[in-house]
Amino acid sequence: MTASNPKILLRVSDLHVAYGKIAALHGIDLAVGEGETVALIGANGAGKSTILRAISGLLKPSRGSIVWNGDDITGRSAEKVVAAGIAHCPEERHVWPAMTVRENLILGAFLVSSRQQVEERVGMAFHRFPRLRERYKQMAGTLSGGEQQMLAIARALMSEPRMLLLDEPSLGLSPKMADEVFEVVREINGHGVTVLVVEQNVHNALAVASRAYVVETGTISTEADSATLLEDPEVLSAYLGA
Amino acid sequence: MDMLLQFIANGLVSGAFYALSALGLTLIFGLMRVVNFAHGELYMLGGVMGWLATTVLGLNFFAGLALTLAVMGACGWLVDRFLIERVRDQGEEPSILLTIGLSIFLTNTALLLVGTAPLTIEGPLPNKPVFLGPVVLTELRVFAVAACAVLILAAHLVIRHTRLGRAMRATFQDPMAARLAGINTARVYASTFALGTMLAASAGMLLGSIYSTHVSAGGLVSLKAFVVVILGGMGSFAGAIVGGLLLGLAEALWGGYISTGTVDIIGFIIVILTLIFKPYGLFSTQVERA
Repeated sequence: MTASNPKILLRVSDLHVAYGKIAALHGIDLAVGEGETVALIGANGAGKSTILRAISGLLKPSRGSIVWNGDDITGRSAEKVVAAGIAHCPEERHVWPAMTVRENLILGAFLVSSRQQVEERVGMAFHRFPRLRERYKQMAGTLSGGEQQMLAIARALMSEPRMLLLDEPSLGLSPKMADEVFEVVREINGHGVTVLVVEQNVHNALAVASRAYVVETGTISTEADSATLLEDPEVLSAYLGA
Repeated sequence: MDMLLQFIANGLVSGAFYALSALGLTLIFGLMRVVNFAHGELYMLGGVMGWLATTVLGLNFFAGLALTLAVMGACGWLVDRFLIERVRDQGEEPSILLTIGLSIFLTNTALLLVGTAPLTIEGPLPNKPVFLGPVVLTELRVFAVAACAVLILAAHLVIRHTRLGRAMRATFQDPMAARLAGINTARVYASTFALGTMLAASAGMLLGSIYSTHVSAGGLVSLKAFVVVILGGMGSFAGAIVGGLLLGLAEALWGGYISTGTVDIIGFIIVILTLIFKPYGLFSTQVERA
């Protein structure tokens, strides 16, 4: 943690996760301060997505703790984690293909009972993503990859999270589209939403995040400011082959 | 010619019941990927519950139907939470074995409790004939068909236009995304199974008021529901309705013009033809499941 971030919003300590008998994470420690954008970088299969899945409650940790805003949320179910203010936008987008763009958004605010509030948020999403407004009646499965990614992010924001977990937002997108997505991430962060982003493209990740953790075979090997990492080609090539 | 219209009318009446009972089966399969071999037994229990409520407890038909729906809905919920939950996400085979076991258990438990005698449910209307042009039906049958239509419509509205229905469709299309949106998927599965059970049970009670019911009725009902679902397309709502009506019509015409003794054969002919020429059914949902 840098001194400029007084409040730690999320602290993960000694996190262990296993898929069946195969251990995927062996003791992850990380912390994210309120308002930060932090990146998890590292090679394919290093365990970056597993970290996000454990935080959002899709996976149950076998050991360690996840403390959110002072509360221990380790092992809580996914719907309770969303309710607590953490939204997870998963890898490969996972929009509901046979539902319209609008329905996808409405379902993103599933825990909001006020209809009026849901409509307001749909309006905000359309304001932020004008292209989704144009396609609001279209089935999500018929959107382009970039549009689906925008929809997935917009849907995650429908719960008005304090923190967004963003998994591989540029996967399969053209460089131009990826730039657009990261522009959106920057804008979201500018509105006070804390972001923890997993990204294989190191340059994209470091361009948007102020700090990064390098994940290597289930552990954190390095933690540094983006600027430091970008200036250290040796670290980059050693860990990431960038 | 007059006979043809009469056969068609009869076929549509039984088709409405086939549709209603197949709807629960296709809903449970489409959403949960559970091939429910106990479906016919849930239908049978609906008839038995309806009989208990009206004949033993002395309730009128509508109060009895409400009670039956409530009790059977609760049963469906419990079956899901305590049995199907254990084999979730383990492929289709474990759930097939589980529901076959459940069907044997339910039949024999019902046999123990109410015996083999046919059970007649007092309908809300008399069996007075109604003349619609050349076609003769009874008031009770007209009522029962209307009740089927209302229940099918209600199920459709629940799935299309309620928060629960949206959660069901989201869970069906992408369970992980549903969990991340804050949907309690375990509850969605249990609600779906409860809804499917209620549809089967209501068909059982309605039909029990026209004919009669007995505890071993489940097997044939399951078979016919499978015929309808295969014809219409596994998991397809519209398919269950069209498939049900087609089966009812085919049986009525076969019975009318060929032979009443071999009516049950027509369902199997339909299944074989469907599997040869249109293996995903008339209303394939393969695209939707991509």
